[in-house]
Amino acid sequence: MTGDDIDVRLAGVTKTFGAVAAVRDVSLEIPRGSIFSLLGPSGCGKTTTLRLIAGFEQPTQGQVYIRGRDVTDVPPYRRDFSIVFQSYALFPHLTVAENVGFGPRMRGVGRAVRGREVAEALALVKLAGYEARYPRELSGGQQQRVALARAIVVRPAVLLLDEPLGALDKMLREEMQVELRQLQQRLGITAVFVTHDQEEALTLSDHVAVMRDGRIEQVGAPRAIYERPDTEFVAGFLGASNFFDGVVVARDTAGAEIEVAGWRVRMADVTAAVGAQVRIAVRPERMRLGGPDAPGQPATVREIVYRGSTIHYYLDGAAGPILVHRQNAEPGAAELRPGDRVRCRWAPESGVVFAPK
Amino acid sequence: MTGRRELWRWGLVAPPLVISVALFVGPLAYLFYVSLHEVSPSELYGSWSLASYAAIAADPFYLLIIRRTLVTALAVLALALVIGYPVAYWIAKLPARARSLALLALLFPLMVSNVVRAYGWAAILGRRGVINTALGGLGLTDGPLGLLYSPEAVVLGLLTILLPYMVISIANVLASLDPRYAEAAQALGAGPIRTFIHVTLPLSAPGVASGLLLVFLLTLSAYVTIAVLGGPQSKLLVSLVYDSVVSFHWPQAAALAFTLLAIALAVSGAIMAVVRPGRVQGGRR
Ligand SMILES: Nc1ncnc2c1ncn2[C@@H]1O[C@H](COP(=O)(O)OP(=O)(O)O)[C@@H](O)[C@H]1O
Ligand SMILES: [Mg+2]
Repeated sequence: MTGDDIDVRLAGVTKTFGAVAAVRDVSLEIPRGSIFSLLGPSGCGKTTTLRLIAGFEQPTQGQVYIRGRDVTDVPPYRRDFSIVFQSYALFPHLTVAENVGFGPRMRGVGRAVRGREVAEALALVKLAGYEARYPRELSGGQQQRVALARAIVVRPAVLLLDEPLGALDKMLREEMQVELRQLQQRLGITAVFVTHDQEEALTLSDHVAVMRDGRIEQVGAPRAIYERPDTEFVAGFLGASNFFDGVVVARDTAGAEIEVAGWRVRMADVTAAVGAQVRIAVRPERMRLGGPDAPGQPATVREIVYRGSTIHYYLDGAAGPILVHRQNAEPGAAELRPGDRVRCRWAPESGVVFAPK
Repeated sequence: MTGRRELWRWGLVAPPLVISVALFVGPLAYLFYVSLHEVSPSELYGSWSLASYAAIAADPFYLLIIRRTLVTALAVLALALVIGYPVAYWIAKLPARARSLALLALLFPLMVSNVVRAYGWAAILGRRGVINTALGGLGLTDGPLGLLYSPEAVVLGLLTILLPYMVISIANVLASLDPRYAEAAQALGAGPIRTFIHVTLPLSAPGVASGLLLVFLLTLSAYVTIAVLGGPQSKLLVSLVYDSVVSFHWPQAAALAFTLLAIALAVSGAIMAVVRPGRVQGGRR
């Protein structure tokens, strides 16, 4: 059985549409009061997973539990959840107050109590005073808030969000991310958040599940997912990574020596045996640059891109192109020029080592 | 630059504008002018007079016909809506391919002339028609039933002609509704019935309104069906216009035509006011 603090559990869920397997053998547990993100490229099965939790789709195989109850065969309107769509799907024929009051009304809440609940929910999303408006009279950001108010007013066991910020511009999106996070923590809501935007997933979530081709590739806290990716796909999908192919030449208890293009690096946390082909992934911000006489892999500066708070260096290394990010306040960051010869290196624990597939 | 563009715009708008003024607004205004005169035995119309309208307002025969016209039209509307909506709902739920086939199938009857179909019904409903022959043959009735030449026959005839308009109007709107509306309602605890009542039905208002308007206006202007199936006993307003025309009572015909137009406008306004298709417009801006 599930623990008491697990609000949503999928057990071996598979969903096929004809010949297409949209979700394959997905199992996951979402703890109470947390935001759980489903992250992955378009078509990887995020929305389908969400719709399986909602009951809009029936699993081909496996079970869905909400608050410990097996809801696999329960229709959506008897499951305890609410949902925010990317298109919001606000009822155009109802006012803001009627939209937000729809859930309480369907759940038999009396008019007086309903009015209070609607007012509270609208205050939470900072839309008090908009009760009598129609959705078409609101901006995109305001419609988004109404959709959110409509979903939280019923205090669902789980709030499902399918790319809810996708239709907003960048500024508004970042603002809403923060607000959403605050709201969720204040109300202690359990939420499943679908997005293809890795930054958004990292910003918002307690846990991130990276999906690929209907499977979950890795689940973990944002930091673990970003810094200790299990697979090359995860390393490549979340932010940029430098990849280096090499061979393990020596091992000891602390790690291993790996030879990359005639040059030896130490890496911590290596499971591969001596002689094995491996691939190293290192984040651009973990790369250190030194002068031509410093230790490290020799490289030539090809291009420098000034990005405000950071500077991106594109290098040609012995083992291929290398990307390095530096804070522009870092000493010496402004002094390099294209054509300069440099050395780059990284600490043994600042990269991960995969066995190539 | 803008001047030239303006010119272009007017150039594009002008021909249809001229045509519609010349062929529609003009004659309509003239018709109205004619309706405000006396009937004249020799001329198109006599001197200024409101006699034609007064006759309509005072004559119980005219009033009876107006009432019958309204009742018939409302019966056709109600039946078309009650029968058409479920059919439209079912069609809208079909997969895309099956849906277009179903809509196409609905259009087929429209390819048969109304005259042919009216006589078809006459052949079924008449004293020696299919039904009476069958019932008589089975000994179920003493004599032939007066099925033909009744308001019911007119309603039946009109309904079979106009039902596709209702179904197609509603089905198109239902099929293009974003399924997320219904899903949002379900997520908030509404079962299938309440989802239909509170969300799907109001969101289909534009289809219902256009279906009702089409069926109503086509009912008012139908002639052959009414003449063939209603016979002399079940005349409607449009039959009176015809009768006035063939007896050369031009001002009376014009006044009746305007009465018909007034009814059309009033009922159309009432349909729009009740169904309120405009409330559904515009989701996200
Ligand atoms: N109703 C459906 N019928 C057929 N195929 C579907 C349906 N829904 C999703 N799919 C397929 O399942 C896969 C996953 O889709 P989806 O869950 O929408 O991905 P995502 O939300 O990650 O972009 C895609 O290949 C998509 O084409
Ligand atoms: Mg999706």
